[in-house]
Amino acid sequence: MIQVRGLSKEFAGRDGTDTGIVALDSLDFEVRDNEFLTVIGPSGCGKTTLLRIVAGLIPYDRGEVSINGTPVTGPGPDRAVVFQNFALMPWADVLTNVAFGLEIRDMPKAECEATAMRLVKLVGLEGFERRLPKELSGGMQQRVGLARALAVNPRILLMDEPFGSLDEQTRRLLQEQLLRIWERERKTVIFITHSMEEAVLLGDRVMLMTPRPGRVKEIINVPLKRPRGHDTEKSATFVEIKEYLWQNLRSMQVA
Amino acid sequence: MAKAGVEVGKMRPISVPGALWRPLRGTWMEALALVGGVALWEMLGWLLAMPWLPPFSKVMEALVQFVQSGVILANVVVSLQGLAIGFSISLVVGLLVGALMGRYRRVEQALHIYVHALFISPSMIFAPIFFAIFGLSDAVRIAVIVVYSLFVIIINTTTAIRTVDPALVEMACSFGANERQIFVRILLPASLPLVFAGIRLGMGRAVRGMINGEMFIAMVGLGALAQRYGSQFEASKAFAIAMVVLIIALVCNWIVQTVENSLTQWVD
Amino acid sequence: MAASKVGRGLLSGWGLRIWVFLLFALFWQVSATYMKNMLIPTFTETIGGFIQLVFVSGRIWEPLYISNQALVLGYFLSVVVAIPLGLAAGRARLIDRILNPYIGVFLAIPVAPLIPMVIIALGLGLASRVAIVFLFAFIFITVNTRAGVRNVDPWLIEMAKSFGANERQIWRRIVIPGAVPAIFVGLRTGLGRAISGMVIVELLLVASGLGRLILEFAGRLQADFVFATVLVVIVEALLLLSAMRLIEQRVAPWAHDISVE
Repeated sequence: MIQVRGLSKEFAGRDGTDTGIVALDSLDFEVRDNEFLTVIGPSGCGKTTLLRIVAGLIPYDRGEVSINGTPVTGPGPDRAVVFQNFALMPWADVLTNVAFGLEIRDMPKAECEATAMRLVKLVGLEGFERRLPKELSGGMQQRVGLARALAVNPRILLMDEPFGSLDEQTRRLLQEQLLRIWERERKTVIFITHSMEEAVLLGDRVMLMTPRPGRVKEIINVPLKRPRGHDTEKSATFVEIKEYLWQNLRSMQVA
Repeated sequence: MAKAGVEVGKMRPISVPGALWRPLRGTWMEALALVGGVALWEMLGWLLAMPWLPPFSKVMEALVQFVQSGVILANVVVSLQGLAIGFSISLVVGLLVGALMGRYRRVEQALHIYVHALFISPSMIFAPIFFAIFGLSDAVRIAVIVVYSLFVIIINTTTAIRTVDPALVEMACSFGANERQIFVRILLPASLPLVFAGIRLGMGRAVRGMINGEMFIAMVGLGALAQRYGSQFEASKAFAIAMVVLIIALVCNWIVQTVENSLTQWVD
Repeated sequence: MAASKVGRGLLSGWGLRIWVFLLFALFWQVSATYMKNMLIPTFTETIGGFIQLVFVSGRIWEPLYISNQALVLGYFLSVVVAIPLGLAAGRARLIDRILNPYIGVFLAIPVAPLIPMVIIALGLGLASRVAIVFLFAFIFITVNTRAGVRNVDPWLIEMAKSFGANERQIWRRIVIPGAVPAIFVGLRTGLGRAISGMVIVELLLVASGLGRLILEFAGRLQADFVFATVLVVIVEALLLLSAMRLIEQRVAPWAHDISVE
């Protein structure tokens, strides 16, 4: 379980002057085990900053971020990140990219490759394991990113608008694939998105954030039955929740 | 099971190094221009009959003679030896200093201004200094080659490491990589393209340093020959020497380019 | 990451640079003193010589003036030739095609071995020095100018044509303003090359300016003046190129040198 209490983060202004930006202001929330939490909010609400803090990539100024009681002080084997712009090593092939997290932890090479191959198959890229990233489409590249994150078997998956730079069709396919994979092993997920459909479709709960400074406005329950697919989008509850999100987000934009 | 065939993969063949496909018409035009220029040179050479502009054919004659008689072979070897030593020094020192400056901000802050100043200074001006220090020896021309090529390698290597995609570094951090792992697994491979750009530029400069340094000392190598033929008004031979240096420059560039292409096939 | 322009404390920014300089000066001073080589002056001797030549006796100014004549004339000649050539090559496909094979050759060909030929043609006076400086610089200015023209967004030209602009108007309003940044980069690179050309002329020909001065000082074993003259040239080069860079920054801070791609 991820616990966030009174989390605040400021970014210093340029040249060390005092006009800093308050990215996050006293965030309070919890993510239960095996829960899929989606986070949505307009630009500038600090969602990516929040993710990076939970990932242990940047420090925070005030408050507490802990995982099952242990405070977060840096990256760890219990968490893995999927990046918006894929962050694949362009000089390495698919298999090597997927195996990256394992190789960093000095796992023996044969084992790395075997595990990586298993994940390459899981995300449906069998046959492409020797290709370079530049030979893959955006959707395929992100599947590599997902496979890489899953390869280290983290308890928590942190996803930063992973489908944001993909076209709609590819996005929908990857959403379906993600849902299927998640049904098998229910990791705890924090998933950042700009898309309301995505937030409601994927999440058990949706955390709505407001910008400047970043705060949690509300956490909305999504009582839709699992397993979900794109048919879920037709249900009344889905439409209702999505509409609710839209009303909120729209008023934030105007403000 | 997930459908692998749904997406059409964006697959491109790996580009063949140096293969350029141009519209046929364009190539004809350029070939024609080259031939035309050579023809013009030939004509002017005969027509004007100036001692300083021998016809193209005479220059070619001299060049062929060089190759056949092996007269310049010794000089070429001497020049190339100097080039090899000098460029190797530039390479080792350049990559090392560049990497340090790229990796450690303090080092860059301290040295950048001097590296830059030495880079834009006219390199040949250091020749009298080297002469004073080393006297009439090989060290002078090697030092000139180093001064010509070192700084561009440092600057490019520094930039190469500094401009590595920060997202990649963050990704590595997120998987728990330590400093060393990030340097070896991310910074080094990612910086290769720009590092090679610096090496290529350094190579070209080194060749220029080679010939200039030798002409300054005028005792060994191709530079000595250039001075000798020049002072004896043997224009065809002097032009032929320039051609030899040009060929050396092109070959060296080709070598670096080939290595570069094989190591950076992954670049988009 | 805030970049400190003024070093705060002894170990950042300018502090570091000064340390490096002091270390260098110290190393020079100590090793030169220890070597007791007639031809290698110490750091202080060199600075002393510099001050002598520049401010006290003023001995450097006339040779400097003579040498720089070649630089100024040669550079301006190359600008006058290279820019129109580059503009033409950039705009007219035919001219570009004709010039293309030669550009690579001219960029790579060493000018130094051809210097004796220039002497034969033009003698030992100013003319050949100007010609050599020209040869050093012009192709670099041409290449960058051409690139500047070619990199003008073709859509802008289409747009202008669609509004009925004629060739002259396209040049004046679209092409030239668009190419100016790259042209300035070419001018700066060309200046650097011209300075190199001037130096090589002086050292290889031992003409009537700085080259002769260095030879004279060397002959009289006045090592401090030899080194000081070298320093004067370096300072001149740095001043000229920095000035050029400043002008360029005002025109286009983002441009880069295409001849070194």
